[in-house]
Amino acid sequence: MSARRSLLDSIGATGTAIFLGAVGIAIFLSIWTIASHSLDSAVLLPPPLTVLQTYGGLIADGSLAQDVRASIVRVFGGFLIASSTAVPLALLLAYSRILRGLVMPLIALIRPIPPIAWIPLAILWMGLGDPPSYFITAIAAFFPIFLNAFAGGASLQDEHVNAARSLGATPFALLKTVMLPSALPMIVTGLRIGLGQAWMAVVTAELVAAQSGLGYMIQISRLNLETARVLVGMTVIGLLGAVMIGLIGVFERRVIVPWHYPR
Amino acid sequence: MARGVYEQSLHAFTGSRDGSPVAAFSAPLPPQRLVGTASGAPALANSRDVSTPRLRLDRVTVDFGKRRHPAVDDVSLSIAAGEFVALLGPSGCGKSTLLNVFAGFRAPTRGHVYLDEQPHLGPSARCGVVFQRHSLFPWMTVVENVAFGPRRLGLRDPLGIARELLDLVGLGDVSEAWPSSLSGGMQQRVGIARALATKPPVLLMDEPFGALDAQTRSLMQEELLSIWDRLRPTVVFVTHDIEEAIFLADRVVVMEALPGRIAREIQIPFPRPRSHDIFDQQAFIERRREIADIIRVEARKSFR
Repeated sequence: MSARRSLLDSIGATGTAIFLGAVGIAIFLSIWTIASHSLDSAVLLPPPLTVLQTYGGLIADGSLAQDVRASIVRVFGGFLIASSTAVPLALLLAYSRILRGLVMPLIALIRPIPPIAWIPLAILWMGLGDPPSYFITAIAAFFPIFLNAFAGGASLQDEHVNAARSLGATPFALLKTVMLPSALPMIVTGLRIGLGQAWMAVVTAELVAAQSGLGYMIQISRLNLETARVLVGMTVIGLLGAVMIGLIGVFERRVIVPWHYPR
Repeated sequence: MARGVYEQSLHAFTGSRDGSPVAAFSAPLPPQRLVGTASGAPALANSRDVSTPRLRLDRVTVDFGKRRHPAVDDVSLSIAAGEFVALLGPSGCGKSTLLNVFAGFRAPTRGHVYLDEQPHLGPSARCGVVFQRHSLFPWMTVVENVAFGPRRLGLRDPLGIARELLDLVGLGDVSEAWPSSLSGGMQQRVGIARALATKPPVLLMDEPFGALDAQTRSLMQEELLSIWDRLRPTVVFVTHDIEEAIFLADRVVVMEALPGRIAREIQIPFPRPRSHDIFDQQAFIERRREIADIIRVEARKSFR
């Protein structure tokens, strides 16, 4: 008992987190290996080692990089469209009672429609390829960003507004110097969730409406019964999504809302 | 070392106006229009009183429309330039509502508010406000909080003004900290510095020490008096603490509840500078008893 505690103590909090995370992943990979050996079918579940070899092949011939690039561009495109519309709209609605009354019921009606249900319209309007993928990822990312930014804008404290007004702030200055920064922590939460949603949606969109990207690659590999490739696609999405969301976290602590994390 | 930006403009307080448009701490607005009639308010003379009041409420009523009684009912009150007035009363007597009217955060249902005898229609940098708590912007460092007002007004060297005020309240060494890392007393001092940074002729304080522990509060009271002594703004100080009101103010306005009205105005004779020693004087004890008797009756009205 005491020996184990001193080991974790000696590597510090970050070290402990990394150590425990690595152990968790190792256990998962072991179970996966055992399961695939007992199933003994490369189609149902290839072992991790085979997936790793497939990785090697796909990296070597450059096709993985191509698919990754196509998907990332779509994720960021949709994410940018979503955040650049959702954040201003949310703050505007939080600020104006009339606009809120006009738009919120509409949002409540559109929000429950899953992104995937927009695919037929998107294909009808924009054909196959990049545009419908942007559209679908933007729809998916929009609502979490909008709702969090709106909650952030609406949670503005009267004291802050009154203080700013008694210090000579104009309505525009109020929006820019008080409302926006006050809502930023919630906005960043929305961006993080929105980015996750965008990743999920891009794969959905590519499964149906595109001819490149990780989703498309997964779909083609499934049709060819190349399950190892399917797993490569899936794990790449997991890795990239986690890295990007982690980067937003770093950005959040260092740049966007450093006052939440005093050092 | 030349005198700092802020210190120079402080001389406007003592009468030597230096002509700079933003430095006018106590300079009245030029055209002295008298709007409305000199109503039933007994214009209490103050030792520093000048011809016109700095702040004036003319038969102000604030009715939220939700209760049987208006929160503030037909209140008239004149406050002289440089006067320190405490608004004292039990909770629910409308003293904070009255302060919000002074600040321009809330328009009266009936009646008028005048600042230097001009209609006072909304919040402005001429009325600095110190809030009860949690009013610092958490996303700005301490010095940026204090520089906020000067920046909005486009003053020269906002950070210099902010640093001087932080020195004034004894917090020059934490200017780069986040507000959340400061104690409650320090945050309130930053709040005072921020309210003073636009050089307002009027300082409105809404129970600024209400959330502090007794020792800190007592120190803050002395600190406030020493700042007030140097800058001499007109202060309206809302509190429910009788001793605090007597210790700080030239005049204590005791309010009654349901509806919110002025129950009595009591002049406080103690010479300045004051120290907490006056708590032991007979005159202090008598005034405390007199006020406590009024408050007890009033508190019972809203205590149900």
